[in-house]
Amino acid sequence: MDIDVKNLHPLEVKVLRHVSLGEDITAERLISELDYKVGQCNQAFSWLSAKECLEEKSRDKYVLYELTETGLDQFKNGLPVEKIFNFLKSNGPAAMPEIAAALFLEQSDVGSSFGQLTKAKAAKLNEERKAQLISDELPQDVKIARSLMEKASTAPIRENTLSAEEKKAIGALAKKRGAATSTFKLIEKEDVIYVLTEAGDKVKSDLFKANITGEEFGLLTPQMLATGSWKNGSFRPYGLNAPTSRIIPGRTNAYGDYLQWVKDKLVSLGFEEFDGPLVENEFWNGDALFMPQFHSARDIHDVYYLKDPVHCKEIEEPWLSRVAKAHEDGGDTGSRGWGYTFDHEFTRRQVMRSQGTVLSAHQLPKASIPGKYFGIARCFRYDQVDATHGADFYQTEGIVVGNDVNLKNLLGLLKMFAEEVAGAEEVKYVPGYFPFTEPSIEVHIKHPKLGWFELGGSGIFRPEVTKALGLDCPVLAWGLGIDRMALMHLGLSDIRELFTPDIESVRMRRGN
Amino acid sequence: MPKIEVSEKLFFDLCGHSYTDDELMDIFPVAKAELDGHDEGTIKIELNDTNRPDLWSAAGVARALSTYETGKIRKYDFFSSKDETKDSGNRMIIDDPSAVGIRDFSIAFAAKGKVVTEDILLALINSQEKLCFNFGRKRKTIAIGIYRSSLIQYPVHYKGADPDTTAFVPLHFEEKMTLREILKKHPKGIEYAHLVEGKPLFPYLYDDNGRTLSFPPVINSADVGAVEVGDSDLFIEMSGPILDDLILTASILACDMSDMGFEILPVKVKLPKETKYGTEITIPYYFQSAPDCTLEEVEKKMGEYLDDKECVASLGRMGVNAKCDNNVISIICPEYRNDFLHAADVTEDVMIGHGLMNFAPVLPSDFTKGNVSPAEEYARKVKTLMVGLGFQEMMYNYLGSRREYVDNMHISDEKVVFIANPMSENYEVVRPSIMPSLMESESVSGHAAYPHKIFEIGKVCYKDESDNSGTVTKNHLGFMYADNQVGYNEAASLIQTMMYFLKKEYQLAAVGEDGRFIPGRCAKIVVDGKEVGLFGEVHPQVLESWGCGVPAIMCEIDLDMMH
Repeated sequence: MDIDVKNLHPLEVKVLRHVSLGEDITAERLISELDYKVGQCNQAFSWLSAKECLEEKSRDKYVLYELTETGLDQFKNGLPVEKIFNFLKSNGPAAMPEIAAALFLEQSDVGSSFGQLTKAKAAKLNEERKAQLISDELPQDVKIARSLMEKASTAPIRENTLSAEEKKAIGALAKKRGAATSTFKLIEKEDVIYVLTEAGDKVKSDLFKANITGEEFGLLTPQMLATGSWKNGSFRPYGLNAPTSRIIPGRTNAYGDYLQWVKDKLVSLGFEEFDGPLVENEFWNGDALFMPQFHSARDIHDVYYLKDPVHCKEIEEPWLSRVAKAHEDGGDTGSRGWGYTFDHEFTRRQVMRSQGTVLSAHQLPKASIPGKYFGIARCFRYDQVDATHGADFYQTEGIVVGNDVNLKNLLGLLKMFAEEVAGAEEVKYVPGYFPFTEPSIEVHIKHPKLGWFELGGSGIFRPEVTKALGLDCPVLAWGLGIDRMALMHLGLSDIRELFTPDIESVRMRRGN
Repeated sequence: MPKIEVSEKLFFDLCGHSYTDDELMDIFPVAKAELDGHDEGTIKIELNDTNRPDLWSAAGVARALSTYETGKIRKYDFFSSKDETKDSGNRMIIDDPSAVGIRDFSIAFAAKGKVVTEDILLALINSQEKLCFNFGRKRKTIAIGIYRSSLIQYPVHYKGADPDTTAFVPLHFEEKMTLREILKKHPKGIEYAHLVEGKPLFPYLYDDNGRTLSFPPVINSADVGAVEVGDSDLFIEMSGPILDDLILTASILACDMSDMGFEILPVKVKLPKETKYGTEITIPYYFQSAPDCTLEEVEKKMGEYLDDKECVASLGRMGVNAKCDNNVISIICPEYRNDFLHAADVTEDVMIGHGLMNFAPVLPSDFTKGNVSPAEEYARKVKTLMVGLGFQEMMYNYLGSRREYVDNMHISDEKVVFIANPMSENYEVVRPSIMPSLMESESVSGHAAYPHKIFEIGKVCYKDESDNSGTVTKNHLGFMYADNQVGYNEAASLIQTMMYFLKKEYQLAAVGEDGRFIPGRCAKIVVDGKEVGLFGEVHPQVLESWGCGVPAIMCEIDLDMMH
């Protein structure tokens, strides 16, 4: 094993420098000669053995008996049996409860101790059912116990130093575990003797060569700075690859970071952010976007309705009348309309916003020409929640308003999004369908990792949408499916993970 | 969006040649179609245009592809129009006024001359289902029945019939049932009962001999209404309340069947009331109109000048007959379509016919100034502070259960917005506060190392009568700090630090009854005399409801009131 002596811990260094080939190395020796604690000995032995600088020569198992707290008390104040013997000796026969009360002993202890005395023919129960001594001498086993306590009061007793009689007596008074109420605690121990290996000896000489003593400075302290003592020695080099401890930092959310990056990207391209309420009505959520009121995407199985209030109070004029007219016969939008009677009650019905395009519709009456707007809007759909559908999710949408904007600009915009936001290698446009745009275009991109997929939908708002909302110029509308890229960015595959409440998983999450 | 499955053999026969999958993927966009799968003789196609029901069949897609490739527009000579009525022989259907207000109209055409094969039968059933489900809103506005015309004695009658005395043997059953019994016993009756239940009379279709054709929109009869492989004479009928939708449906089916080799036979319909077509109409009937479109409009929308020849040729590839005089393009809407509402719709067909790849992308040239919203700007400021204070930003769903948002929080539901049609009780309530989201995190994160310091800046929504919607959406900050030893003092210090850096003078005031906090250990934050938020020690009853075993403090602030 190749060992860099600079990486050795001071506990290892001091041991190696202290010992020589052929010597027995024990914990006892390190404690007395190097002033180590037991724990430090164990560390030094375990590290140096692992480095093959020390090896085990022998291992000797033995048993120790040590006085417990109770035992120490009994050594000073007497065992219950001694107390009872002395009590009876000085006071004459007495009833059990009387003894217990006088000596502050448990009835059961009195009982068992008396049993011990009667068994050794030192006491008996007289005719009055009182305890009475019949010997002046304490039983032999009690005398042995007393001598053992005396011996143990200076240092723990090694089992192999005891006679057979003493072993028997101490066995009755000791326990290995739960020894709190026993006199002695039984401890199983091992004496291990180590010796220095050839490799260890080589490391030792390297240590001397490098002049490493194990007395190098550890932590630099304010005191060392104050006294200047740091000048009188050298600093111990640390193991550079030691395991690190965990830090839990304050952090932003990785998905939020991605959304913020998209927002900043769009702002840098000249887009202004818009926002709106989560509760919408059928008018803005669908009617204003020229979706016929009977459109299948407006079904009870697609949109969430509010339980209360079911309807909003009113829809702003003149937009209500103009949109209603666009649906019925086109009004002044140049369209023939859908040709049905617009339902003025249905239009006030409240829904949870189901598409981000609602924000674009709201923006139209107040849009500047030219103007570019975007929003990342939380939307709600009546969908079974699974790996690709959330109960609520973000949609990224926007519009470009300008007197001369056209299809070729839309394609240019999509190409820019594909390259700037999605990092696309190739871009492909295909005709699409959205009720509120004509023409409608889908943009498909070839992503370096995901391959071909649909990045988003777009189109030029139908005149039935823009003219009805008072805007007589073309409006390019687009939406980007950024969640798919967000998932890839975060190394996730389940859309539900984006909004996970699990603290640990959010803490550890990071983007690419 | 409609998805269809078509027989590969039938589809390629209708196209005139076969395609590889790659070729299909390349050409499908002209029909706004996507290849969804192709296995064992079946091609799966997804159609994106919900306003083009003519494309929801093998014949419809095949027609679009072959017209695009050949530029040859199909001709259908069986259409009547306001100028010409085709001979309907003795084929007639009489709509009785008794069905008006119940299911106003039933119209029909007949077909013969082609033996129904398994592929054709399947194709007919599929288009019938797609049209009824997607275009006819699950049979509400369109229900289609196909019958064996050899068993029919003309004229056919359509009326509102007594549901308890009118009876026949419905398809797939052997015993006679009254119309009302069908709604209770027949699977289709149970499925579609809601469309007729509660009406005094039920729609009923029968021939001149009194033989039942069907109980529209529910079920056909077991004999006349049981078309099988080998049949060749068919009667196709559609019923519903909107006449134009029925006529278009008939046109689509007639064109599809004509493409499959059937001879289409017109049927005269005696309408139950005066309509814009009068009281009689012969089906199939051409009723469509289309707007004109100028070359200038095309140029403005496309950003590129296409001359008259190119526009006309492009439209031809889309199956649209067009001519161009004095820079005005006039088109004849194909018999099976009715989606030209505006000149913009003509423009789109020009675009697809010309080929999207032939338009070069150009960036818009207008200069505009970009900006995040004021709310976003403020949120970013607060976020930076919270992160500096050691908090982890979280992001949550806004829909949850009553248990999470109300019961576990020990608050009243008075201001809480509920969904009327929740898909499950797990997504029934709109989040009125960020606190339950934070508690949910705590309840699922016992394994995460403490302390837990989390926050979110997000939206909440609750009732507010002063708003037009009776609700209000707000941007809130919520944070939670859970640890073995944490309490009011830590919360108050955090608020103090935050308010200092947000430059807000504030006072704290006692909170009345609030089940979320330990009484006497929570405070309102008042800025300029207005309550902007509150914070305090989370009440053990809340921790217990969420199954949390570690103390926590929480705070929520209305950020819209802060900037």
